[in-house]
Amino acid sequence: MRRPEDRHYSEEEVLLFVMGDAAAETGAEMSAHLEKCRECRSVWEEYSALVKSIGRWKIPSPSEESWQGRKATLLAQFREDRDWVKRKGVFWYLRWSVVKTWDYAMENPLPTMGYVAAALAFASERTITVFRLDWILPATGEVIKILRQVL
Amino acid sequence: MTSAASDEELVEGTLGGDEHAFTQLFDRYRNPVYSTVYRIIQNTEEAQDATQEIFIKLYRSLSVWKREKAKFSTWLYRLAANHAIDCWRARRRRAESQISGETGDGDFVESPLGEAIRSPYQEVAGREEVDEIRRCVDFLPELQKRVFVLRYFNELKLEEIADLEECSLGTVKTSLFRATQTIRKALRRYRGAR
Repeated sequence: MRRPEDRHYSEEEVLLFVMGDAAAETGAEMSAHLEKCRECRSVWEEYSALVKSIGRWKIPSPSEESWQGRKATLLAQFREDRDWVKRKGVFWYLRWSVVKTWDYAMENPLPTMGYVAAALAFASERTITVFRLDWILPATGEVIKILRQVL
Repeated sequence: MTSAASDEELVEGTLGGDEHAFTQLFDRYRNPVYSTVYRIIQNTEEAQDATQEIFIKLYRSLSVWKREKAKFSTWLYRLAANHAIDCWRARRRRAESQISGETGDGDFVESPLGEAIRSPYQEVAGREEVDEIRRCVDFLPELQKRVFVLRYFNELKLEEIADLEECSLGTVKTSLFRATQTIRKALRRYRGAR
């Protein structure tokens, strides 16, 4: 671990200390160092003053009336969007569920592969009797054999 | 829904189409969002327009917010900062094309955000320094500008900013330091010139 008197602190470290973003351990070390080191203390004083100056940047507040006007406009837009969603119908939701499923698959590839494998195994075994997957796609039979062994 | 409803409850309500929940979200966050946007755009009217647009974006993308990834306020400030940067960029492009059309070689070119810079700040102590800070922030690179505003004025933690920006903590620290350095240097020059 570094001893406080080993070296001066960098300006970046001093800034983080001033902003309260230094790690607790570093902060304690730095406090001790600043007691002794004039050079670092002057940097600290400069950054403290600078952070205060930045904090003086106030902004003009819009009037309450103006906010109320904005809120009314927003609300009208909100209602319009909400009602539009209600009018979307079954195809929109179908598309939406495909997109969501795809998103899920991209985010969770392993579970998705598991689900697909289980579905394929199930379909080849029971569900699809007329159009068995391994009849439609020759390679599917091999895949299913492997899946059976794995599962 | 009571006025003390949590952000999560209000989000749920808004997603369910409850307009009261949505207006409560607006009332709760309009000021911090506006102040984030204003510090990037530096124009009252445009900042209000942008705030309104951000709330429209907000409810259209609320379903994307993942509570386990970020607090609602943190996510919203990031949305606000991004939108503000887009507005600022568009504004700068407009201003630059106007300037290039209107001024000849060697003319003095004022900041494209001149209107904002000229607007009054009389009540603030050391207002000229504050103006200098505003001028500097306007010319900061985009990442530095976002990090600067989110850290100094929205008081997000550096780790939160790193998560939102999808960059390392070191990058955030460096951006914050560089932004502060730029302002420090400008203030030094300014004080030296007085």
